Amino acid sequence: MIRISDYHKTFNAGTLNEVYALRGINLRIQEGEFLTIIGTNGSGKSTLLNAIAGTFQPDRGTIAIGGKDMAGKADFQRARFISRVFQNPFMGTAPDMTIAENIHLAFMRGKPRHLIPGLTRERRDLYREEVRMLEMQLEDRLGNTIGTLSGGQRQALTLLMAVMNEPKVLLLDEHTAALDPKSAAQVVALTERFVARYGLTTVMITHSMQQALALGTRTILMHKGQVIEEIAGKDKSLLTTTDLLDRFADLRKQEKLTAEMIEEMRREYL
Amino acid sequence: MELWVGALNLGFLYAFVAFGIYITFRIHDFPDITVDGTFTTGAAVTSVLVVAGTHPLLAVLASFVACMAAGSITALINTRLNVNSLLAGILVMTGLYSINLHIMGRSNIPLLNTSEFFTLLNRANPGLPHEPWTAICLTLIMAASWLAVSFFFKTDLGLSMRASGNNPIMARAAGINVDRVKIFGVALANGLVGISGSLVAQYQGFADIGMGIGTVVTGLASVIIGESILKKHSIYAWIASAVIGSVIFRFMIAIALYAGMDPVDLKLLTAIFVLVTLIVTAKIAKGAGKVKRKHLVTAMAAAAIIFGIFAGVKYGNLTAFIPQKKVKIGIFQVSDNPILNITRDAFLDEMKRLGYVEGKNATFLVENANGDIATVNAIVDKFLRDKVDILVPISTACTQAASRKVKDRPVVFATVANPFVIEVGKTDTDHLPNVTGVYGAVPMDRTMEIVTKILPGPIKIGAIWDPSQANSEVNVNSLKKALQNYPDVTFVGGNVSNSSEVYQVAASLVQRDIDAFVLPTDNIVYSAFDSVVKASRNRKVPIIFNDVDHPEGGALVVFGYTYVTSGKQAANLVDRILKGEKPASIPFERYREIVLGINLKVAEELGLAIPRELLEKATVIIDESGTRQKSGGTSSREGTPLPAKRLALFQFTDNVILDICAEGVLDGLKKSGVLDRQNIAIDHKMAHGDFPTAQSIAQEMVSKNYDYIVTVSTVSLQVTVNHNKKIPHVFAAVTDPLKAGVAKSFTDHPANLTGLATPQPVESTVRLMRKVFPKARVIGMIWNPAEVNSEICTVITREAAKKYGFKVVEVQITGTQEIDQALQSVLGDKPDIFFTSGDTTVSSVIPSLAQKLRQKRIPYVTNTPADIDSGAFICLGADYYDVGLKTADIAIRIINGEKPAAMPIVSYVPEQLTLNLSLAKEFGITIPDDLIRKAARVVK
Repeated sequence: MIRISDYHKTFNAGTLNEVYALRGINLRIQEGEFLTIIGTNGSGKSTLLNAIAGTFQPDRGTIAIGGKDMAGKADFQRARFISRVFQNPFMGTAPDMTIAENIHLAFMRGKPRHLIPGLTRERRDLYREEVRMLEMQLEDRLGNTIGTLSGGQRQALTLLMAVMNEPKVLLLDEHTAALDPKSAAQVVALTERFVARYGLTTVMITHSMQQALALGTRTILMHKGQVIEEIAGKDKSLLTTTDLLDRFADLRKQEKLTAEMIEEMRREYL
Repeated sequence: MELWVGALNLGFLYAFVAFGIYITFRIHDFPDITVDGTFTTGAAVTSVLVVAGTHPLLAVLASFVACMAAGSITALINTRLNVNSLLAGILVMTGLYSINLHIMGRSNIPLLNTSEFFTLLNRANPGLPHEPWTAICLTLIMAASWLAVSFFFKTDLGLSMRASGNNPIMARAAGINVDRVKIFGVALANGLVGISGSLVAQYQGFADIGMGIGTVVTGLASVIIGESILKKHSIYAWIASAVIGSVIFRFMIAIALYAGMDPVDLKLLTAIFVLVTLIVTAKIAKGAGKVKRKHLVTAMAAAAIIFGIFAGVKYGNLTAFIPQKKVKIGIFQVSDNPILNITRDAFLDEMKRLGYVEGKNATFLVENANGDIATVNAIVDKFLRDKVDILVPISTACTQAASRKVKDRPVVFATVANPFVIEVGKTDTDHLPNVTGVYGAVPMDRTMEIVTKILPGPIKIGAIWDPSQANSEVNVNSLKKALQNYPDVTFVGGNVSNSSEVYQVAASLVQRDIDAFVLPTDNIVYSAFDSVVKASRNRKVPIIFNDVDHPEGGALVVFGYTYVTSGKQAANLVDRILKGEKPASIPFERYREIVLGINLKVAEELGLAIPRELLEKATVIIDESGTRQKSGGTSSREGTPLPAKRLALFQFTDNVILDICAEGVLDGLKKSGVLDRQNIAIDHKMAHGDFPTAQSIAQEMVSKNYDYIVTVSTVSLQVTVNHNKKIPHVFAAVTDPLKAGVAKSFTDHPANLTGLATPQPVESTVRLMRKVFPKARVIGMIWNPAEVNSEICTVITREAAKKYGFKVVEVQITGTQEIDQALQSVLGDKPDIFFTSGDTTVSSVIPSLAQKLRQKRIPYVTNTPADIDSGAFICLGADYYDVGLKTADIAIRIINGEKPAAMPIVSYVPEQLTLNLSLAKEFGITIPDDLIRKAARVVK
């Protein structure tokens, strides 16, 4: 479904703030695959997600989605088949607009927006049923502005908005990291349900080793703009965090990771 | 009234600006200054099209489209070229200045005699006054616009616009092309602003290149005010709040003006207001949501207080920042009867006119005892408890109670027949130290004189009165006393104690064969006067009545005082006391205005002839058809002063020429003595170059019913003509009133308007140049095409130059900062003479310009005589002080009764020549002797 070849990206090239963010990424993600990404801060996880979403264009290399080259296509153009959920629950919704209006905006993704009141009563009823599935008692509050909701409720709505049009690709950027444990668990459960139900090709960044191992079919480890390790196969869900740390130790022996990096991983993920 | 309705209308017209600012500022978070330019663009496009005969609605549409284009350019620069939004706005706004000038072709296009939008509205007017009708129409238009704009934000396109502004990241993720939506939004906003510009131009009757300045701040203020007032739950409320904010903003300005605030502070206050509110709003955004309203209200209050202090300072002639003490005035009357009501209303009106405004600097407590004497005393007690500063008893009973109880503060009475019988004084000057007032009783001897002139020979007269009223007793006794001089007049009296008895008593008197009713002032008779008329008609008995308010009411003759005078005079006494005079030193005053009204219709019915000498003395005559012929009480005035009148002198901006001209007007009026003779006060009003302020001043003059208006400058003329159709208006310091659009020709002008046209003597100046510089070939000029006068002068210069064999080298500028560069360019063409005519931009830097020209040994010629002191070589111009004096003469003729309709506009250019001989010597130029002799002033 997604084929990334020799992808390079440098930000602020030629300045003091120059960052070589992605250094030749090669990655293939099959249709219906659920990929999780782990890595230290600044390893390029989010940049990779943005590259897929089309927030910027590569310096070198290509991305193809569903067999089509994405060169020159801006994010709002790719939004027709790519959905995203951000870490910050405030980012995925328009706070001053109502729940119904937000869902309608998501529904209209990839469709022309005309000078007609598209948010009709029928549509509203439809959205109410969708919201009911979240089991957050939001179905009676469609007219409330998003700003009045909790972070968990917002993130659940964002997730719903992301999947309701059955996108080809779903990008999740640590979408539970900013939530309290209970809300996070709810959103994770929803994520699994939606991904399974629509059979979505999903890429998820996570800061939880358990999540990385429990969710998805394959996990990659990123470091300094490169993919340095892959964990896949049937036994992935059987692995424990200790197994994972052993893998890191191996990587260190191969000099792909430094002691500090492992320490940082340990701090962030355990 | 006009002021408030006008404020409402302006608020509506500017509401489109608020919509625009709402879209850019609130939705897109895009501080768009382009609107300062597009507002004018809207006005420019519309005015050009309307003058060319396009349908006004089409013109509005064209303005909308043109301004959308301008706005989209700003947004394109911002999104595509990544230029900061503020900078992008400034760039386009600056560019628009030139484009607007190109569209208009000149800086000011009048729309007064064209078929514009509001003329169209007026065609459908069912007969209401102009402004209220406009307000009704605008209310409907506003309601429709409100629904349309709200609907827009409910559509898919509108939703995506809101999302783009509210959360661009999310909008992008939802597949919205945020940049494109932003471009559309900013374009739409500017289109809406253009509609405002278009409508305002049509409303005020002209488009001017400078009218857009400050639009963004005005719009911002409106949006912020609206938001703080209306709780917004829905998009409908959001949009409505913009309209409401706009209206409130205009009202705040109207109130400030009404309170006497100097308009020069308006912009500063607006800016402070917006700043304070922005800071508070920002704080709220950080803090919790609940404190929101409280904070905003605090901000509003703070701004209002600043506003108030400024207004107070201006009003109190800078008497420090101490809050002004409000005077408390207790007014009370014994009963609800018309005479007393008239007195009370006249008193209150006059107080207002004298500048005492309820709630601002005065509190008026108005009480009525409803005929109960006990209540009268209770009212006095209440007033003392309320700590009133002055008591104003209206009627004898109230005066009695007040004078008895109150010793420590002033009492000013009104409508008392005889203050001496109730012992408040022995004579007019010897009276209780804290009491003064206005009194008077109809002179009964003179009443009898009139009666006997109409009905000579032995007659029997009947009178009706309520003996329980002290006033009535006084009046009747005075009548009886007068009758001692008329031995062949017999008197029959009838007493009443309430109005239902009047008919019966009157009928009984008629039965007793009276020849006439002579009715002294009496409250009961007054209120049941119709009964007397009815009873008298059976036997055709004429009525002579001492109450003069209704000469049409059925009496043959009314003779006496109008109680309006009583109230007015009392108010003036109160004013004098508040200004520091002691009541003890103020003599009692008698009523000043006496009315003799004769009803010829009644005379005809009764078959009576009215002697000619009476008719000549009459101040009011009701003719045979029952219409009032003569009014105003001009003939029998007793004593001075006349009712106060007001003249407004309205100057648009402060520059040398206008200042001098205004000074001439003031001096001319003062020296003539007409102000004192006619009791006229002058208000000098100044708009400091701000167009909306000029609008408000014009509305205020009409609303406050000034008696005369004198305008100095073209803009103040245009604005005033647009609002004022009645008040006599004299204009001055106008180059070309026909081009200004206020008159079709010098004789064909609005009936209430006349004035002076004072073109610069450009042609004579060019002729003079030929005479002084026989060999000169090239005249250099720098001028600002944004100035109408300058443009007219330049055009004339070109023609005159051709005639006298000169070549004109000209460079156009838009501001003083460009003058140096322009001068270099002109000098490149080697001019022999440099000339400036009627250009205020260049005029402001004449000294430095003259200095540079002197170094190049180029003589500098101007059209302003005073420039000779700034280093000019020869100046031939209109003496604007003289123009001012001449304007004063015209105003005086109108004050003395001439009608402006019959006075043609006059072209008046009092040429004044000034010369600089020392420069002539320096340049080696000989100036002919006859010129030196002619010169008003010579610098040696």
